[in-house]
Amino acid sequence: MRIVVNELHHTYPAGVEALRGISLVIEAGEQVAMVGQNGAGKTTLVKHFNGLLQPTQGSVHIGDWDTREHAVSQLAARVGYVFQNPDEQLFTKNVHDEVAFGPRNLGYSPERIERLVEDALALTELTDKKETNPYDLSSTWRKMVALASIISMDTPVVIFDEPTTGQDAANIARIANVVRVLRERGKTVITITHDIDFCAENFERIIALAQGRVLLDGPANDVLAEDELLATTYVDPPQLTRLGKRLGLPVTVRDEEQFLAAYREFIGTEK
Amino acid sequence: MKDKLTFYIERESSLHRVNPLTKLVMVFAFIILAFFGPGFWLPSLLVVLGIIPLSFLGRVQREYFRTAGRLLLPVVGFLFLMQSVFHPDVGDSRVLLQVWVLNVTVEGVRFAYLTASRIFVMVSAFILFLLTTHPSELMSDLTRRGLSGTFAYVITATLQIIPQMQAKASTIIDAQRSRGLDTDGSFRKRVGALLPLTGPLVFGSLVEVEERAIAIEARAFTSKLEKTSLREIPDTKLDKAARWFFLLLIVLAFGSKLWPS
Amino acid sequence: MAIVNLQDVTYKYPLTEEPAIRNIHLQVEEGEFVAIVGPNGAGKSTLCYTLSGFIPHFFKGELNGTVEIAGVETQKSSLDEWVLNVGLAFQNPFNQISGSKFTVYEEIAFGLENIGVPRGEMKARVEAAMAMTAISDLADRSPYSLSGGQQQRVALTSILVMEPKVLVLDEPTSQMDPIGTREVFQVIKEMSARGMTVILVEHKIEWIAEFADRVIALHNGEILLEGTPGEVLTSPLLPERGFGISRYTSVARTASGQGLWPGDRRLPITLQEAVDGFARDRK
Repeated sequence: MRIVVNELHHTYPAGVEALRGISLVIEAGEQVAMVGQNGAGKTTLVKHFNGLLQPTQGSVHIGDWDTREHAVSQLAARVGYVFQNPDEQLFTKNVHDEVAFGPRNLGYSPERIERLVEDALALTELTDKKETNPYDLSSTWRKMVALASIISMDTPVVIFDEPTTGQDAANIARIANVVRVLRERGKTVITITHDIDFCAENFERIIALAQGRVLLDGPANDVLAEDELLATTYVDPPQLTRLGKRLGLPVTVRDEEQFLAAYREFIGTEK
Repeated sequence: MKDKLTFYIERESSLHRVNPLTKLVMVFAFIILAFFGPGFWLPSLLVVLGIIPLSFLGRVQREYFRTAGRLLLPVVGFLFLMQSVFHPDVGDSRVLLQVWVLNVTVEGVRFAYLTASRIFVMVSAFILFLLTTHPSELMSDLTRRGLSGTFAYVITATLQIIPQMQAKASTIIDAQRSRGLDTDGSFRKRVGALLPLTGPLVFGSLVEVEERAIAIEARAFTSKLEKTSLREIPDTKLDKAARWFFLLLIVLAFGSKLWPS
Repeated sequence: MAIVNLQDVTYKYPLTEEPAIRNIHLQVEEGEFVAIVGPNGAGKSTLCYTLSGFIPHFFKGELNGTVEIAGVETQKSSLDEWVLNVGLAFQNPFNQISGSKFTVYEEIAFGLENIGVPRGEMKARVEAAMAMTAISDLADRSPYSLSGGQQQRVALTSILVMEPKVLVLDEPTSQMDPIGTREVFQVIKEMSARGMTVILVEHKIEWIAEFADRVIALHNGEILLEGTPGEVLTSPLLPERGFGISRYTSVARTASGQGLWPGDRRLPITLQEAVDGFARDRK
């Protein structure tokens, strides 16, 4: 499902102009990370994708729907949104019911709901915890419940708001796996993140925002190469990108594989 | 807007410099005089000769009129209407006006005016108090006089928690609507939406309460040492005299009720 | 002489079967900067609560062994006395705001009011602490109106102003963006430079590598490894047991398997070490 943002402006009631003319297209099945300092407009932008915010000017289309013409509860069938803090959404007595809440709201058939719930639980490694009360789980597992409760809605677009904040290495690996599986299923995944290493290793396209405008938008390697521009919105390049640059590698790298390949070639040519 | 959690207006004025307890006693004197004092016109006189001039003295007259207007006039107006229409027919039952099957009597209007003016005194005296008294000063002063520190903490924390709860509630609503919850449909749908909205608010508050308890404990909140206060709170001889004067007024007001001449 | 001394400490929360921490022996010297790493559920927060006296004085449960700080034993002290020696700050800055104060200045003075510091001295201490953490310009703001990084600096300042001997920090930057993280670490670094004993739980390895004198790796409630950052953070045990490690370390480990990292060289934990190692190999 294609997302088209056209000349989008948003001004909050208090008068803060959070978005100042954003235009972009996200094709079906793309993996996009949004980066930039707090206040750059990342959250304001993605809250337009499921209608939580409405444009002050300009428009947002999700497939053939103009978000101004559809309620949030309708848009929920197209765009799933995982909020940063799981504790702001968990309320049922067990994990299974929590994960079933979204698809039930969307009016899916009981068989489909069961199938989607089982699948989402398996993907987030929660199957053995499905009878547990979410509040008896650790905060890392509550985060996975929040993820599962959106994945089970089977929306073509999934948004993650700061998925790795406060998570340990094992859980970050689990979340990266969820992103990979969703990509394989052809879902569009959009992530807001400050975790630039996670972003570099899991997303093909990066959009950097600064002061309500698009600062950079393109393939991850190209965006990460622009360290001076990124610094203006307080984004440091990933560790391996910085290392490659310091060593003088001729290309920009963003993960271990790319680094080692470039490094091998680099020392080969030097010798 | 987030920066503004109290009514307090920071200004240099002689009313601001009055001890918080003195002002509080004064507020109660106004209220008790209005409700128990003699005379039909007393509450009105208290407003015209007491509270309004004091608002000028405290240099908060603009804020006072604005808040009183917005908060009080609708309530007082409604009260006046209800009381004059529905007041039982006793006393002077000359009919002034007929509304549908109801008669508005002279006694009804008198009673309504009295009730409305009393409420006006009560609320507007508090408004004046809140405009010119910093809550921290009041609490520090009361703690110094022996009020429990925990009680004072609960009061000031409650003052601040409401806007935070509102912000939290709106995030929860957003999160659940994003999961397809329809919050603006039929009554049944709204009732169904209650648990998904209140559940996270309650659970979240429990976590918050525990962490906050740890945080204030880490700063020796329950220390057995005698507490001091950052703010220097004035308490002059004049303050003491004024408090005795207002107490006297309170006693006189009750007296006039108990032993009507 | 060690300012912190834990002997064979085991603790079990009420209504649980397994201890959250087990057989912990830990000595920390005055002025030392000790970092604690570990996966979630390793017992890091429990250890922080034990050091800061909330175990056993706030959380009940079963505490065995001895916890001694500045020569006083936690079991023989009370919480309100204990917190004067050990300051605690934790993850969520929002929940650390007292909630009863209207400005940052008042917020920082809160602890000093509680222990009866005279007004003149109180003001001097509040102002000095704010200058030290570079938040003087926030003095008149409402604590609620601040960014996360600013709130966390206010929370730290509110503890520092009490002048504890030991500072215990439980993931103070986990909710922070990169700017907030940098702001908070600048404060921690400053405190350590002034000779305060710091015990820090942190996931962000890059910062630990830079600042810590010693690293303790906690796993399943027990101390798995202990040593200098270079020793602990490059141990092959960490990735096996679900610890996060620096990308510099992991890439060099892969590289050394392919003969691209000098075999005699310790794996890097900082950018500079990685640059030095990979650059040297070229010569």
